[in-house]
Amino acid sequence: MNDDAHRPIPRRWLAAHAAGQRGWLTLAALAGVSVGVATVAQMALLAWIVSRLIIDDAAPGELGGAFALLAGVLVLRALAQWGQEVAGQEASLRIRQRVRAELLDHLAALGPVRAGDRHSGGLANQLVEQVEALDGYFARFLPQLRLAVAVPLLILGVVLWLDWLAALFLLLAAPLIPLFMALVGMGAARLNSEQFAAVSRLSGHFLDRVRGIATLQLFHRTAEATAEVHRAADRYRQLSLRTLRVAFLSSAVLEFFASVAIAVVAIYVGFGLLGYIDYGPAGELTLFSGLLILLLAPEFFQPLRSLAQHYHDRAAALGAADAMLVLLAEPVRGATSRPLDSEKDLAVLKMATLSHPGRGRVVGPLSVSVQAGEVVAVIGPSGAGKSALLQLLAGFVTPDTGQRLVRPGLGIAWLDQRPLLIHGSLADNLRLAAPEASDSELCQALERARLGELLVALPEGLDTRLGEGGVGLSGGQAQRLALARVFLSRASLVLLDEPTASLDEDTEARVVESLRALAAEGRALVIATHHPALMAMAGRRLSLTAAGLPNDVEEGADA
Amino acid sequence: MPEPSLRSCLAPWLHLFARRRRRLVLGTLLLAITHASAVGLLALSGWFITASALTGLALAAGLAASLDVYVPGGGIRFFALSRTVSRYGERLYNHDTVLRFLADLRGRLFAVMTRLDERSLARQRASDWLNRLTADIDTLDSLFLRLLAPPLVALLTVLLVAALLAVWLPWLGIVVAAMLLFAWGWLTTGQAWLGMGASRRLVAHLQRLRGQLIEHLQGQAELEAYASQGWHRQRIEAQEARLQFDQRFLARLAGFGVALVNLTVGLAMLAALWLAALAWQQDAISGAVMVLMPLAVLACGEALALLPVAFTHLGATRGAAERLNALVRAGKTRGMAGSEPLPAGPLSLSLCNVSLSYPGALQPALHGIDLTLAPGRRLALIGASGAGKSSVAALIARRLPPSEGEIVLGGVPLAQIEERALRERLALLGQRVDLFQGSLAANLRLAAPQASETSLWQALAWVALDEWARQLPHGLETPVGEGGRALSGGQARRVALARLWLRDPGLVILDEPFAGLDVDTVTRLRPRLDAWLEGRSAIYLVHQLDGGDFDPPGVSHVAHLVQGKLTVCANRGHPSG
Repeated sequence: MNDDAHRPIPRRWLAAHAAGQRGWLTLAALAGVSVGVATVAQMALLAWIVSRLIIDDAAPGELGGAFALLAGVLVLRALAQWGQEVAGQEASLRIRQRVRAELLDHLAALGPVRAGDRHSGGLANQLVEQVEALDGYFARFLPQLRLAVAVPLLILGVVLWLDWLAALFLLLAAPLIPLFMALVGMGAARLNSEQFAAVSRLSGHFLDRVRGIATLQLFHRTAEATAEVHRAADRYRQLSLRTLRVAFLSSAVLEFFASVAIAVVAIYVGFGLLGYIDYGPAGELTLFSGLLILLLAPEFFQPLRSLAQHYHDRAAALGAADAMLVLLAEPVRGATSRPLDSEKDLAVLKMATLSHPGRGRVVGPLSVSVQAGEVVAVIGPSGAGKSALLQLLAGFVTPDTGQRLVRPGLGIAWLDQRPLLIHGSLADNLRLAAPEASDSELCQALERARLGELLVALPEGLDTRLGEGGVGLSGGQAQRLALARVFLSRASLVLLDEPTASLDEDTEARVVESLRALAAEGRALVIATHHPALMAMAGRRLSLTAAGLPNDVEEGADA
Repeated sequence: MPEPSLRSCLAPWLHLFARRRRRLVLGTLLLAITHASAVGLLALSGWFITASALTGLALAAGLAASLDVYVPGGGIRFFALSRTVSRYGERLYNHDTVLRFLADLRGRLFAVMTRLDERSLARQRASDWLNRLTADIDTLDSLFLRLLAPPLVALLTVLLVAALLAVWLPWLGIVVAAMLLFAWGWLTTGQAWLGMGASRRLVAHLQRLRGQLIEHLQGQAELEAYASQGWHRQRIEAQEARLQFDQRFLARLAGFGVALVNLTVGLAMLAALWLAALAWQQDAISGAVMVLMPLAVLACGEALALLPVAFTHLGATRGAAERLNALVRAGKTRGMAGSEPLPAGPLSLSLCNVSLSYPGALQPALHGIDLTLAPGRRLALIGASGAGKSSVAALIARRLPPSEGEIVLGGVPLAQIEERALRERLALLGQRVDLFQGSLAANLRLAAPQASETSLWQALAWVALDEWARQLPHGLETPVGEGGRALSGGQARRVALARLWLRDPGLVILDEPFAGLDVDTVTRLRPRLDAWLEGRSAIYLVHQLDGGDFDPPGVSHVAHLVQGKLTVCANRGHPSG
């Protein structure tokens, strides 16, 4: 697991996050210890009341104070129990928020290119499900881990004071505790890994069939597939029962211990009280001490049993942490640019190269300068590094060698084949580029991007919600929405990566028209494209070879 | 639409459980034995210690007293053992039951999903939706272990203990029953009611958060360019705050429930002790029984301990059931199959004024499509992505109902054709190729279950995959991996073509038949496809025809589809290529 020396150990990373919420976690543990103390007090009062009633023949009426006190202890115990839950949960909530922020910060620092290498669905899963998987560890397991030591020690102390021989029973069990902890741990780990593998295999099978339902329908094979799904689940049941038979043994052992402790103590105390045992402290047992020892015996094992219940939380958190650390270990972007002191140039690449892991160098070395207001077409066969060139210009990634120089305060706009549509209103989607823009500015931008007619067609105008549960936009409309954002922004350098690749001719023509309007506003456009119409727009062409090198001749558009 | 009640949400699933009634009863019984043993162990131990103390005192005072130590001693040992054994047995047995439900649930839902139409399926192919589906199934299959058995067993335990105590002191039994039943009632209804809204919302919150995060990641380039990452982060954080608000509320509520159980059990114990002490003072019961009573009540706590958390989150189960119910309803609405057979040989096709609208879309996906195809002809339907070609294919394959218009296949209105006949006579190769986990042979036999090994090899030879397959160490038995991942895109496409070859359709719809194949392969496959299509009708869905090698063979006429409308129809005198 620690093959990567730079990667922190998941346990340490979790501990560091726990340290950040030391206050709440300590409060949870303190509340838990208070529950333990209150339990001892409750049992002691119960035993004392019984002893006063039976041995001292006290009337119940005389013991009103003790009854009231016991009621008070019960209330305090309940409050402490609630406090433990609340404090543990608070720590967990805050830690999850912090972890999510840490991951998002890191992804932002990686930049769109390096972070974009990963499947966004998988990353989102990590940011949601995996972060949520930390809950049980911080909310329950960690506080319980401290209690599993403190509370049995407290109870052992009380029992030792009452009867050392009974304490010895518990103490003899004590060295066995780590042993059983290990057993439980192994059981849980085994349960987790084997079961997890089996579950994901089965889910994989199920999802595989669900994904292909259309094909099954077309071949009229749905009935057979349904029977097969059922069979697979049943096979999985038989397999996992084999695992469970062993895994449940460890918890059965704990259960056994708790039961046997009560039985052994009851019989020892009973025989002691009858005077059958004349060894050691047995002769000095009273109903009070005997009953109290009996009542405390199961409580001695209770924290351990709770810990065992939460053990899988630990495994889940460690698994999640391990995956997160892989992401966090990825080196972030260094400084992407240096200030450019030039009258006419907006951005300059000097002998820049870029390579992608597993693919080697994708572009460069090449030098490019973009001047204010010019239109540059980047052309070349697919795989020539046109996108990489734009990404370097945008500063989304640091060049491996060479430099990027930009005019200070340069505003950049970006547009690729998959424009971002956020879940929200049309206005939200536009304001993403200019949060301060007024409604009329938004309408103007839509107009310029040839989306004016869409705005008229929308039921609630700018407030119409887009995407899931709202209005769906076609690919061309989405592209023009992204263009409207460019119009809205004050960016003087606009980078476009195959902006018309997936559009039909009509829509393409409209987009080209809008791009002309953008250029007419005096913005510099750098367009990676195959389309003749776009190439024709350019004042200058930058041609790349299949190896990502600049073609010797920079062609003029009219050439 | 009024909210469906909790009972009507869960009813279909409870029905499914009811089929395994015997297992449920036995599992519940085992659980009850576990709790009863816990009560018996503690109560009998208390009784034994007190009786011993009293006897010991009497003996010390020189009185003649004796206590049978064997029966209670044996009882204590028995309970200690029965508690452990029944716990182990219960866990194993009940998990077996849960896993059986899992199989039932998956089977049933899969059967429902096989009846969904193209639109529902397209939505559900998203991995997000699939994850939620599995999570919902998991939520429901643990219904028995979380929400059915525990409250039942807790109720049984409470009633059993109260009845036991009532044998000695009826009043005491009633008081204890009243207090513990109050706790039981609060846990099963009060906690559920208070937590319902928040626990039902959790899945939606998580879903929304995931959606926003995907936006954030996929749109990172634009967000960074406009320096609006912080602005979008705030939106994400606002969503996270909504999630955490509900999570915090639920945790506090569940914690409250746990504390309340313990407090009520403690107070019930106290009441039992008080009443028992009064009775003992009046010599109505022995001292040992007096001690037994509060201890028996105390031991009830364990039976109630599982309820607070489970019922606080009842809304999550309800939400899962609602979503699955909606899926079942969607599966039921499809009733398009008729009973008419189809003629043999090439099939004719006509679409008359066919339109298709999706809910929420501004424009119809298809608008007034008129199209006829004579038997044996081959039509190329040309359009950009999103123009509606796949929708046309889905309509003809009866995987979507048209919003308007009529489709006639082989002279029979589409809706009246028998399902099996339609599937046998119509073949569709879509853009997506579905290969399944399993062997190459199994994937081919999907098209022809009875096909001999020889014909499978012939099919592979037809798509020029036989040499490749013969090199594989396991030949036809080679696993293709999940979704066919062990194969390249081109190989997967050829396997899909081979599947078509194993059938004898009268109309073949091919969506970019040569997509993802290299020139050499296409040059080999093209004449074979041409020959196989002889005597069948065909529709090709293509981006464009450029007269090159990748054009499908033998196009007899061409139609252009632009934004859901047919624009140009032209006959082609000569087959291209």
